[in-house]
Amino acid sequence: MTDARKTSDEQAIEHFREHGGDGPPAHLDAFILAAAHREVPARKPSLWQRWVQACQKPRWQVAFASLVGVALMLALVQRTPEQMPQFDSAPAPKASSFAAKKEAAPVARSLAAPSGAMSAPVPAAPMADFAAPAQSESINAEMADEAKVSKRAAAPVKSLDDQLHEVIRLQNTGQTQAADELLKTLHKRFPDENLTALLKDLKKN
Amino acid sequence: MTAPEMSTDASSDESLLARYRSGDGPAFEILYARHRQGLYRFLLGLSGKAELAEEVYQDTWLSLIRSTSQPQGRANFRTWLYQIARNRLIDHWRKHGIRNPLHDSYDEQAHAVIDNTADPEQLLSLSRDTQRLETALQTLPADQREVFLLRAHGELDLPQIASLTETPLETVKSRLRYAQQKLRRLLAEEVLT
Repeated sequence: MTDARKTSDEQAIEHFREHGGDGPPAHLDAFILAAAHREVPARKPSLWQRWVQACQKPRWQVAFASLVGVALMLALVQRTPEQMPQFDSAPAPKASSFAAKKEAAPVARSLAAPSGAMSAPVPAAPMADFAAPAQSESINAEMADEAKVSKRAAAPVKSLDDQLHEVIRLQNTGQTQAADELLKTLHKRFPDENLTALLKDLKKN
Repeated sequence: MTAPEMSTDASSDESLLARYRSGDGPAFEILYARHRQGLYRFLLGLSGKAELAEEVYQDTWLSLIRSTSQPQGRANFRTWLYQIARNRLIDHWRKHGIRNPLHDSYDEQAHAVIDNTADPEQLLSLSRDTQRLETALQTLPADQREVFLLRAHGELDLPQIASLTETPLETVKSRLRYAQQKLRRLLAEEVLT
């Protein structure tokens, strides 16, 4: 009985749904749909379109350019430490070949000889200056390459005593012209030193 | 399709409204086609006047078109739409000094009539004359008629009707039951006479 009543209730509702009259008049439908089309909200641009539009605005262009600039700087800064070991390791084989050539060239040996006690330490660049006239063209070229690679790989600094010993050695081996050239350079380099007296002292010893 | 299923559907009423609000014009046509007949019948049955029903019907849709609001809380689009239409009709009555029939207290028990038309076969012979259906509907008390119309044409379930009319659920159930009994009786009598 309950089910029958429930069914009959639902049938009453269905009956009204089926036969309960028509919908709104056609002119009302047309009016409402026309209003809806007329007043349809502007379509929102997609995320990509909004991004492109933002890029076209000057202030965003400046912002993006700044961002790219910062990114490039960071990339360069981060790359620099990685390149340092390459500079450090690169001169090694060159230095050895360079030293071998200097064995053959006595004048050049004065630059490659191991430094002893640094009684009168001098900067590397001036040393290169005074040594240059006594070197051959090939040595000069190698020195230039060496300087380009790394300042740290420059020729070792030699003391004044070492240079004077070299002068003595050159004189003893008969290379007087080279000895004079080196002495002349030392006079220019150390104008306050009495090189002649020092040389005599060294010869006595 | 139940209400929760509709809300999860990709082309649910809510998603169609959102698409229209984001610039998709054709989405409104689908939404309008779904609800045009039910809403109009609800307003026509509740007001009893075609002109008034058309006016409120038009106002309801235009306010939806021009508004940027959405169904709030647990209300779905259907409940929201009928709520707007109902409020517009009540506003019209109030503006024109017409007593709101929906606020009349009505004693369902006093108007209860013994239902002798429980036989389903007898139901099949209910009058199908639209004018007779409309007349039978207008004989119902306004609050019973409203519940019946929301159930029949709005296709709202009873809790939704209770929420929309701000009426206790049990009252809604009894109103619907009495409305159905009376309509069956009236329409069966129409056929027999």
